[in-house]
Amino acid sequence: GVLAHLEMLEAQAHEAAVKEEETEQQEEKLASLKARVQELRLQRDELRAKVDLQQKEQLGKGGVTSDLAQPSARAVLEWKIKSLKDMLQVFYLTGISGKLTKRGVCFCISTAYEGTYLDSYYLDLLAKPEVQIHRHSIPIFIPLEQIAKKYLQTDIRRFLFVLSDHLNAYVGRRYQADQLQERFSHQIEGTLQRNSLCNLLVFNYNVSCQNKTFPFNVRLLYGDLCCSLPTEVIISCTPDTPASLAEMAPAHSDLFRRTALHKAFRSFSSAEES
Amino acid sequence: MDNSICQVYEDEIQSLEEEIKILAEKYEDSQQESTFFSDEEILMSIKSFQREFQGESKGRESASNLKAQLESLETDLSFLMKFTGIQFTSHSKKTLEKTRNRTVQKHRLSGSCHSLSFQLEFQLLEMQNKENMSALITDLSIIMESGEDSDVSKFLSR
Repeated sequence: GVLAHLEMLEAQAHEAAVKEEETEQQEEKLASLKARVQELRLQRDELRAKVDLQQKEQLGKGGVTSDLAQPSARAVLEWKIKSLKDMLQVFYLTGISGKLTKRGVCFCISTAYEGTYLDSYYLDLLAKPEVQIHRHSIPIFIPLEQIAKKYLQTDIRRFLFVLSDHLNAYVGRRYQADQLQERFSHQIEGTLQRNSLCNLLVFNYNVSCQNKTFPFNVRLLYGDLCCSLPTEVIISCTPDTPASLAEMAPAHSDLFRRTALHKAFRSFSSAEES
Repeated sequence: MDNSICQVYEDEIQSLEEEIKILAEKYEDSQQESTFFSDEEILMSIKSFQREFQGESKGRESASNLKAQLESLETDLSFLMKFTGIQFTSHSKKTLEKTRNRTVQKHRLSGSCHSLSFQLEFQLLEMQNKENMSALITDLSIIMESGEDSDVSKFLSR
């Protein structure tokens, strides 16, 4: 009786102590979080004021900030290093950039389609005993060996430009196919078939007339690997397609030959709306 | 109830830390973009930097690292200019917008490409989404002296 009662009281006291400790910890945690928030708010406000002042000074003096009254030699050198890095980034944007290595050069070919930058590819070249490709990240379906055989020994610049043309055309074709699948999936029947080089595309798309849709099957062949537009377009339709629709096939074929795929489909959508 | 107050504070801390990071970067960018040092000033700084650390071995190491980095970047750049035939004579950029996921910079370049001189301006938009960074060029304007169309269109396509 008494022992049990004592045990119970002990347990209660223990529980109360644990609870008290928990509450204390919670309060401490809250207090430290609150302090951190104040500290960061202060830091943020100071930075804001610094940036505002900097902007006012720049507007007033037309580009020279008085903050760097006597820049240290280190600051000047760090400025120069950063501006050199910025210049190298501009070269990246031109499509061909690189870095000298102990035994040659490592080139970077960057690709873009209509202003959007896509993949970059690397070519690590050795200079001696003759120019050779040490390592690269060019996909295997790009005819690298062929191009290298033709130009690498005689004209490295030409080699890179030709390779760059192939790569840019490839990513351009791939981009169009991706855009088509992403943005116009509702108009595509079934799956879009393509090969790794993206120079052969086969798919079905819907054409509608008086609330009935009929599929057109299109086969796009991109014969010129340096080009992102098809050289051959074959459109076929099912026998029950009304003549009025079937007559549109040559016009579509012409459109696919002249315009990027996703743009051609965009014009279909807007034509339907009007 | 206490937990939700904690969460509110923690959220604010995170957003403040991000804001501070962006403000600091904005300040650095602006300093970089509005300053200019001539080649002579650079050379003088290299000399005075080396003198500063003549005695201390630890400082000398960081000084020579900086100098080596500078030289390596300059050699790479002059190689690229010679190799591609594109000589940039001036480059300025201005950060127009900078948020957590988006940076817009306006670039102004002038130079010559195989003796055809040009000036160009464009805006570069960089966006960070879940997995990668995407880059997009807009508002491209190019001024060239009279030149053959094929060369212009090749360069324009870049």
